[in-house]
Amino acid sequence: MEREEIITKLTVIFRTVFNNQSIVISNEMTANDVENWDSLTHMLLINEVENSFSIKFKLKDLLNMKNVGELIDIIKTKIS
Amino acid sequence: MTDFIFRKACLDDIPFLTETIIQAEKSGTEILSYKEIFGLQELEIRNIIKDILLEEIDGCELSVSSFLIAESNGVTAGAIASWIEGHFGSSSSFLKANLLSYYLPKSSIEKASGINHIINELNIDHLKDSFQLGLVYISNVFRGMNLVSKMINHQITEFKLIRPEINEMYVQVFGNNIPAIKTYQKSNFEIILKKEVSNKEILNYLPCNEKLLMKKNII
Repeated sequence: MEREEIITKLTVIFRTVFNNQSIVISNEMTANDVENWDSLTHMLLINEVENSFSIKFKLKDLLNMKNVGELIDIIKTKIS
Repeated sequence: MTDFIFRKACLDDIPFLTETIIQAEKSGTEILSYKEIFGLQELEIRNIIKDILLEEIDGCELSVSSFLIAESNGVTAGAIASWIEGHFGSSSSFLKANLLSYYLPKSSIEKASGINHIINELNIDHLKDSFQLGLVYISNVFRGMNLVSKMINHQITEFKLIRPEINEMYVQVFGNNIPAIKTYQKSNFEIILKKEVSNKEILNYLPCNEKLLMKKNII
């Protein structure tokens, strides 16, 4: 799966989880940039990403992820 | 007068730290938010907390390194969890969320999705670069000895060695927990914010529908 395909799929996930159809994701995006991205919503997001891409993050993946760009990188590695 | 020694928690303290986390989360009620939100039994929650503590991830309320222990004659009297928000790069809330994401069953996280909109109304962010007091628990026989204040002051002294420029500590407490609020007020914390959720359904999941943010200025 190419990076653009991952971004397209992630955008749908973000818009669903945050209930906001106007979200446009970017590599630099962090929780500070999205309204209601709190700890419980973060857990729902991680869960939805794992389900949609049929992957399971390692704990170190989760702890080292600093922004959406790094999330995309990890997804790309896991599905390739 | 009882003499106490204060020390950093270690892996051997995990059973007491687990009890601290469970009791602090209950906030003087029988509602354990982890259990209700994620649809698990208390024993399952205790086991997950133990596993998380064993990871030794620094910087949140589920980190062994965040805990200060008070001991009297070799008996553990109490524990407090406190940390410097963002000191290790990530916010404490996201560290905790990532740890829970990893250890909770997927079915539990999916169960929480239905009530997220109610729970997050009560969310209060932790201010970056501030001292945060997260969890407090004192064993019954050691209550009424001003132990919490002594532990907070001890911890602030330790934090000041690391980050002398920080002059405030915050604690979040449920509005029903009057003993805790009074204890913090005795330690010079003041209420600076109240959040209340009108939807009473939240009481099925949390000990109270009101949360307070208290602040202590450090001179």
